[in-house]
Amino acid sequence: MSERTHKQLQAIILIGLGAFLFYKILSGTLYFYINARFTWLVVLGGVILLALAFFAWPRSGQAHTHSHDEDAHEHAHSHSAWPLLVLCVPLALGFLVPARPLDSSALDTRGLTTNALASFGSQAAVQLDQPSDQRNVLDWVRAFNFAADPVIYEGEAADVVGFVYQDQRLPEGQFLVGRFAVSCCAADAFAVGMIVQSGEASRWQANQWVHVSGTVQVSYLDGVPMPLILAESIKEVDIPPQPYLFP
Amino acid sequence: MKRVFNTLSILGLAVLGVALVLFLQNWMSGTVALPGQFFTFTTIFLGIFIEAAPFLLLGTLASGLVEVFFRKEAIQRIMPRNRFVGALAGGLLGFVFPVCECGVVPLTRRLFRKGMAPAMGVAFLLASPVLNPIVILSTFAAYGWGLVLWLRIGLSLAIAVSTGLIFAVEEQPERLLRPRSLSLAPIRGASLDLAVPVYPGSLGSRVRRALSIAGEEFFEMGRYLIIGSMLAAALQAVVPQGALLALGSGPLLSVLVMMLLAVLLSICSTVDAFVSLAFVGTFTTGSILSFLVFGPMVDIKNILLYMQVFRRRTVLYMVIVPALMVILATVFINLNLGI
Repeated sequence: MSERTHKQLQAIILIGLGAFLFYKILSGTLYFYINARFTWLVVLGGVILLALAFFAWPRSGQAHTHSHDEDAHEHAHSHSAWPLLVLCVPLALGFLVPARPLDSSALDTRGLTTNALASFGSQAAVQLDQPSDQRNVLDWVRAFNFAADPVIYEGEAADVVGFVYQDQRLPEGQFLVGRFAVSCCAADAFAVGMIVQSGEASRWQANQWVHVSGTVQVSYLDGVPMPLILAESIKEVDIPPQPYLFP
Repeated sequence: MKRVFNTLSILGLAVLGVALVLFLQNWMSGTVALPGQFFTFTTIFLGIFIEAAPFLLLGTLASGLVEVFFRKEAIQRIMPRNRFVGALAGGLLGFVFPVCECGVVPLTRRLFRKGMAPAMGVAFLLASPVLNPIVILSTFAAYGWGLVLWLRIGLSLAIAVSTGLIFAVEEQPERLLRPRSLSLAPIRGASLDLAVPVYPGSLGSRVRRALSIAGEEFFEMGRYLIIGSMLAAALQAVVPQGALLALGSGPLLSVLVMMLLAVLLSICSTVDAFVSLAFVGTFTTGSILSFLVFGPMVDIKNILLYMQVFRRRTVLYMVIVPALMVILATVFINLNLGI
């Protein structure tokens, strides 16, 4: 393809990538991919992409200014199409595949983290001061990690949101309510969960998002103490705007 | 030959694209159920891409600005003559250019073209993803002023500088670099033999030039970032981490497992300290350190980016030499510090 077409295609793809970033921000699905504290970085990225597109667009009389010095090899290279196509992959996947946060399938390969949180320092201590029914799944797992004996939490009220994970290790009548914690992007996600005990546990399907409330007991999974909720109510809810917890 | 390859790859990608669209149409209409792994793959891939693209963009911008505003002679004048001092300065240059592992590659290549010595450039490339203010702060946030923080800084610097010094036997950067990465466009008539003039013109036209260089470089590097993130995401979506982690808890095996994990995860050095916290307790301190020191130097997306700049043989050395040094140092820590 000609130098000019190549440049134009580049500019179009840069605009597309910038639009993709802003689309993710505006549609509210950005938090399916990254930790919210990096939103400003994505905005910056989008602005830079659009600026680059503006300057990449060939202006008349400029198209051939620097192609004369290049040898044939470079010339062939700089016009091949596959680099452009590779840059279209995130566009295709980002616009065509429906956005979905990590769920049971990812938990299957990553495993459940039960000891993750021992060293987040002061941050964690603050969160333990919360009233028990405001703790999220991660706070509960942390609380159980910190406690010398988690029995102190028995009988406290729990009120959490998460997705259903049918763990094969659990007996009939129990399932896990799970959440992923993400520090940066989905690649560093780790899963935490609480056991839910309910008469209608089998009614719930994997990956449904549920709001569970009840009282807490200590249970064990593979010998590790885990918080268990004796469910008083389980309600199906929409995916929360921020599906991941931010440690 | 090149032309045939290009035509074939365009055809192949076109076929893949059509297949993808057909597949998605069928899936939307409910005839094919996509496995959960596909969504996991997509989410992780887009996660890495969305997070890394701004850093790569900042790196290419820095590279473009260096190209138009820094005179080659001026840079060469301030480069240390002594190789050791040069490598050490390269290792600490991350405090001046706080770019992380994606942005550092285009910037290093640009500095090579401006006449930076091989030892200094390699040390900069390997050290700056750790030795910069942002990463040190995040490591501090995760581990406090402890042994892990100081050992991470010390080992990264020592390993980057000594790897850089191995390349000091080469006087000329072009022996390490792919020929194309020295001569390739953005600048007219660029070659190491010529004194490359600073791009002439007004401030506005220079900034325009810098941005246009950044755009070119984003395309050049971006595809390797994308392919690397796709590989990492695919592995994460399919390979159970539990199986990997179950492999080793011994002083040596735990180190190897954590290094492998660092390579596979390809996470940004700004947050890897938080991620590694998940392994404190189950894994040896040495292996945690190997994750924190080796991961920023070598992972799947880095290797692909390095291959774009350096000759294959150079990349091989840049992967193997740090790997061996990290293994030696962290196994020593496991055996002798007893933590």
